Amino acid sequence: MSGSQQTRLASLHDVELATLAAAGDRSSFGELVRRHGSGVRGLLRRMGAQGAEADDVAQDAFLAAFEGIAEYRGEGAFAGWVKKIAARQYLRRLQREKRLAALALEAEEGEPGSPVHADAAGRIDLDEALKTLGAAERLCVSMCYGAGLSHGEAAEALNLPLGTVKSHVKRGLEKLRTRLAPPGGASLEGSRANG
Amino acid sequence: MAELDFERGLERLFAEAPSFPDAEAFASRIEGRLARGWNMRSWLIGTAGVAGGIVGASQLIMSNFVHRVEDASQGSTKLIQTSIAQVKPGFDLLSIVQSDWMVVWVASGLAVIAMGFVLTKVIEEI
Repeated sequence: MSGSQQTRLASLHDVELATLAAAGDRSSFGELVRRHGSGVRGLLRRMGAQGAEADDVAQDAFLAAFEGIAEYRGEGAFAGWVKKIAARQYLRRLQREKRLAALALEAEEGEPGSPVHADAAGRIDLDEALKTLGAAERLCVSMCYGAGLSHGEAAEALNLPLGTVKSHVKRGLEKLRTRLAPPGGASLEGSRANG
Repeated sequence: MAELDFERGLERLFAEAPSFPDAEAFASRIEGRLARGWNMRSWLIGTAGVAGGIVGASQLIMSNFVHRVEDASQGSTKLIQTSIAQVKPGFDLLSIVQSDWMVVWVASGLAVIAMGFVLTKVIEEI
C-alpha cells in the first residue's frame, strides 16, 4: 500500500472504512484492523485466553467481521461490534473444546492479590486486577464491560442461566472494586483523565 | 450513583487498548489471509463461470440449436427480402447477411460468453 493511500485511509472514519470494505476494499479493512486489533486482542486476553490462542481467535474474528461487514451499519462503534464477534468466537471455541462447562464450574477464587494501586502516572492496571477474579467471573465481567454484551446476551452466549451470570458479574465487580479503589490513591474515575 | 460511576469507569478501562509490539504484523497477517481468500474465490468463480459456459455451449450444440437458428434465419431473410422486393425490386442488401454459418456461429459464441459472464456474476453475488 502506498504512503498516500495509507494517509488517505488514516483520515477516514471507521464507518467510511467499513463502507469501503463492504464494497470489497481490503486495504480499508486492513486500516480498521490496525485501529482496533490491539483492543480485540486485549479483550480476549482479559477474558482469559492465552497469548497465541487470543491472537488466533482475534484473527478469526476479524475475518468473520470482513465476511459480515455489510451487516455493520454504523449504528454503534465498530470497535464494539467487532469485540462482540470476538467474544462470541472465543466462547464457541471454548464450547467446541469442551472447556466452557469446566470454566463455569471452576472455583471462584482467582490469584490472591493485593490491591492494585495506580502508578505514578495515575494509571490502574486492569489486567492485574482481573487476575484476582475466578475464571467465570472474569469471563462474565469482561463480556459485559469489555465486549458490551448485556447480561442476557452473555447468559445466552455462555449457555448459563441469567441469574448465574448476574451473580458472577456482581461478585466480580465487588472484587474489582476492592482491588481498584485503593484508599488514598487515584480513583477509577481519575485514572482515565490522567492516563 | 457510585455504583454507576464505578461501572462507567470500568468500561473506560476496558476500552483502553493495551499496546502490542507486533500490532502491525498482526494487521498484515490478516490482510494476507484476506488476499489469499480473495484470490481463491476469484479462481473458483472464474472456473465455475467457464464450466457453466462450456456446459451451456454443449447444450446448445447438442440440442441442434445451430440448425434451428440457421433455418429461422434463412426463413426470415427470405421473408424480409420478398417484402422489400415488392417495395423496391432489385434491392439486394440482405444477401450480405446470408453468409449463414458464420453469423450463426458468431452469435452462438457471443451467447456462450454472455452466459459465462452472467453465471460468474450470479455466483459472485451469491
